[in-house]
Amino acid sequence: MLETDVARFIQGRVMSLIATRNQAHRPMIGRGTGARFDPDSGEISVLVSRSQWPEAVAWARPGLPISTTHVKPDDYQAYQIKGIITGVRPATAAESAQGSRYVAEMLETLGGLGVTRLQLSSTLSDHELVRVSFLPCDLFVQTPGPAAGRRLTDGFPAP
Amino acid sequence: MIRLGDIRDSLEGVIPSVIATTDTEGMPNISYLSHVHFVDDRHVALSNQFFSKTAANVASNGRATVMVVDGSTGQQHIMDLVFERSETEGEVFDRVAAQLAVVSREQGMGDVMKLRALDVYRVMDCRAVPPANPLELPQPRETEARDHLAMTGRLSAILAATSDAEQALDRTLEGLETLFGFSHTMVLLADAARGQLTTIASRGYDRFGFGAEAAFGTGSIGMAAQARVPVRISVMSRGQRYVSAVRSTSGLGGDGRLALPAIASPSSQLAVPMLVQDRLLGVIFTESDRPFAFRHADEEALVITGRQLALTLMLAEQLARGPSAVPPRAGDRVTATATGPAIRVRYYSRDGSIFLDDEYLIRGVPGRLLHHFLGDYLATGRRDFLNREIRRDRSLLLPDYKDNLETRLILLRRRLEEKGGPIRLVRADRGRLRLEIDGVPELTVIDDA
Repeated sequence: MLETDVARFIQGRVMSLIATRNQAHRPMIGRGTGARFDPDSGEISVLVSRSQWPEAVAWARPGLPISTTHVKPDDYQAYQIKGIITGVRPATAAESAQGSRYVAEMLETLGGLGVTRLQLSSTLSDHELVRVSFLPCDLFVQTPGPAAGRRLTDGFPAP
Repeated sequence: MIRLGDIRDSLEGVIPSVIATTDTEGMPNISYLSHVHFVDDRHVALSNQFFSKTAANVASNGRATVMVVDGSTGQQHIMDLVFERSETEGEVFDRVAAQLAVVSREQGMGDVMKLRALDVYRVMDCRAVPPANPLELPQPRETEARDHLAMTGRLSAILAATSDAEQALDRTLEGLETLFGFSHTMVLLADAARGQLTTIASRGYDRFGFGAEAAFGTGSIGMAAQARVPVRISVMSRGQRYVSAVRSTSGLGGDGRLALPAIASPSSQLAVPMLVQDRLLGVIFTESDRPFAFRHADEEALVITGRQLALTLMLAEQLARGPSAVPPRAGDRVTATATGPAIRVRYYSRDGSIFLDDEYLIRGVPGRLLHHFLGDYLATGRRDFLNREIRRDRSLLLPDYKDNLETRLILLRRRLEEKGGPIRLVRADRGRLRLEIDGVPELTVIDDA
């Protein structure tokens, strides 16, 4: 099932962008340190470094919208997910360890593609991780090509 | 606000940029974007090829936020933008279109990435994303301390003291190495009628490669010639390296042409058109095995140097046409009795290509010139030729020919010299050339025009 595929996709070795927005609707850009899909609650949670992305985290507030884009760096396969934030809290020790593993894995993956540790020096961060959870309401294919921007109508499976 | 000129190295597209917008309900949209192009200190341009939602959001509220990454340091910057106008022509449009075409062609995507419109945005704010806990810190670059204006000035002084075209070519490349540290350089002359560029000078390669050609529109050199804009590649892709590896194969290419000289594994390239009075004289080119070897300041310096070299070459042509040229004298008609082995010379009148003993030598104007010299030599035994007389010879008249005689003679002489015989062309003195032949040429003309 495609939705399951997408859920697996965002939990794999993909780069993640997040965008929140302020009161004036100005977007706040940040980068994720790994994502998880919870089939029971139907929520997606993204780890984000508060110290590296203070503005994006500051506007990650329950009830406000968020968009995340996840791309596989070796073939540019990408999805964008939009939703409403349901919760924001500091990452647990287990989640922080998961974030550190993500950074190590992405350094390995991107290193294999010729991207250096220095180029990623502030792109990947596992410091002061915050878990931002949201309920997805829209899902789009964002892989460059004819299907780019296509909405996947069924979205994620209901809890 | 940070001045955009100070972060130009982030606007290279080495690491993909990010663009975020919001819709009328305030829902953000975020995606990757290949390039954010520098226009001036307050403006950037985005190629209008991103996803439809971004375009719809910008159309609705005129705003976007982008994040760019410096490919050499990993430093990130965020800019708040307001849409100003869309362009379909002009200097910035041409520059961006050429860059996209280079990327597109090298990736085998043809015209998929052809630029249709360029959106210009005013930058309302530009701020650094402070590295909170960087994985690694960049080393200070020694090249940042270099004064490109002063270096360009010194090279300009060297060129200004030179009136001879050949000296100008060699001193330019020497100066680029000693002053700028560009240790692999080439100058190629443009032949617009044939859509080819031919190497006339090179420095820092395992061979000179005089006479080697690059087609307009191919690779960074050909793109710089076709689009008449500088082409700079900071990190070459594997595909680009492959093209370059093929190029580095010495000797003849599959189509009988000479391969351009090349370094084994280039990471950066910079090709700059040499323009004078809106005419393309050629391309000046440098490459390096280091990524990010050439920055904006290097590009600007090479643009200025390329223009001055073009001007110097043009003035040298005009000077050679003037009354100060060498007067004829008794020894001008030096004749010789040919002795030695036979040299098979095949000349194709269609493109002026010449083969010596079945080995390709050169084509175009230099080929036509050598055919002329050999024909005269076989008919009259004459070996000395005055540039002035060549210029007046109606049988040689070709479009765009008289203006380029000096450089074409240099090219022919250098190609013969690098080949190492059996035919050479030597400078007897200024404005006079002597044909030296170790054997008896047998000229076959193939009239395939």
